Amino acid sequence: MGKTATDFDKINRFELLKELLLAEDRNDLKLLSQEILEREKLKTKVSPIVDEKIEDLRENFPTYFGSTITETIKVQIKESQNEVVEALYPIMGKLVKKFIVAEITKLSENINQTINDKFSIKNIIKRRFKGKKSDAEGVFQEVFEPVIEEVFVIEENSGLLIGSYSKGNIADKDMVSGMLTAIKSFASDAFSKEGQHLENIRFETFQLSILNFKSIYIATATSGVVNNDFKEKLIDDLNSIAEIILRDRNYLKEEEKLNLLLKNTLTKENQKLNDCKKSIIGW
Amino acid sequence: MIAKKVLLVGSFGVGKTSLIRRFVLNEFSEDYISTIGVRVSAKIMKIQEEEVKLLIWDIAGTYGEEKIPKSYFLGASAAMFVFDVSREETYLDIKNQLDAVKSISGLKNIMLVGNKKDLISDEKLAEIMKIIPISIDLMTSAKEDENVEDAFIKLTLQSLK
Repeated sequence: MGKTATDFDKINRFELLKELLLAEDRNDLKLLSQEILEREKLKTKVSPIVDEKIEDLRENFPTYFGSTITETIKVQIKESQNEVVEALYPIMGKLVKKFIVAEITKLSENINQTINDKFSIKNIIKRRFKGKKSDAEGVFQEVFEPVIEEVFVIEENSGLLIGSYSKGNIADKDMVSGMLTAIKSFASDAFSKEGQHLENIRFETFQLSILNFKSIYIATATSGVVNNDFKEKLIDDLNSIAEIILRDRNYLKEEEKLNLLLKNTLTKENQKLNDCKKSIIGW
Repeated sequence: MIAKKVLLVGSFGVGKTSLIRRFVLNEFSEDYISTIGVRVSAKIMKIQEEEVKLLIWDIAGTYGEEKIPKSYFLGASAAMFVFDVSREETYLDIKNQLDAVKSISGLKNIMLVGNKKDLISDEKLAEIMKIIPISIDLMTSAKEDENVEDAFIKLTLQSLK
């Protein structure tokens, strides 16, 4: 049975009603799909640029932000010093402990080796005959052998360096001599009574000994354990040097001549000391 | 090479350290000045085909003004007295201060330098030169690097006399 005119009319009205009711939604849907399409297009275009930028950032992050981050960290550390100290304290403690353990292990190996050598039958017999130095002193001297690192001969008043012997690499000996003289003057002025002088400065493994004369003084930097024998020997050597240079004043004017005298005397004495030590050990 | 000890003296804040900083690169930390009242710097100068190592003792203040060990002044071959042209109090008593330095150091001549010339006009500078009873060797500006090298050359020459 075919549709009547009334049926068609109903359908048309229904379509019309649909058009009227959904027109706005359809419009929105259209806009939305357009937006999505545009986004897709944009994504395809922008993606490589963004990827490139990310890669650039990954590679050059320290260059772009390094200083800012360092500055931020510095400020952060400065502002929360207590927290930082608290956080670092256990770590530092562990590190220090580790370092000390390693050093003590090295030291104990060294001492063991020396004790084994010292208490060998050969050495015990040798000591019976030679005597003098105690075992502890001998062990200590070998483990922490004293070394003359620097010797400066300095003019008392001006602080000018007259001559030097050096094992190390001091950047500017003249400047060091000047400052040393200033420190010496300062100490004399601040603490001393008439006619007293600064004689020793210790800093960690270094010991600075000052031997004062009238117009000059001799500063000696030594490392290791300085025992009485070594000290006496060194003072004797320095006194001999002073005697020579104060008798022949040309040494005060000719730096090279004085340097040679220092080198010859101190290395000769060191050599003698080493030879003596070797002969005792190897006896 | 010969080495000479030279002094740089003058009241606090006249710019002695700035003159050295402008002239010498190789130096100890400035902390020493506040700690022991002196800081030694070194500079090698080539004067008349001869190399001279200048050990410059930058002394905080002048003797008598602050508690400075007398021994800092001993054994020097020359000295430069620096005053600040923009601060009257640094040059009003200059004759007495110079005499004090001369008597402790044993130096007969002391170079007189007015620093911070960039802070005042030429007219004012001429006025100051009239007020100061001793002839001024040089007017310098550590800030503008004016006459600094010349002042140290003159000091070196004086140390060689």
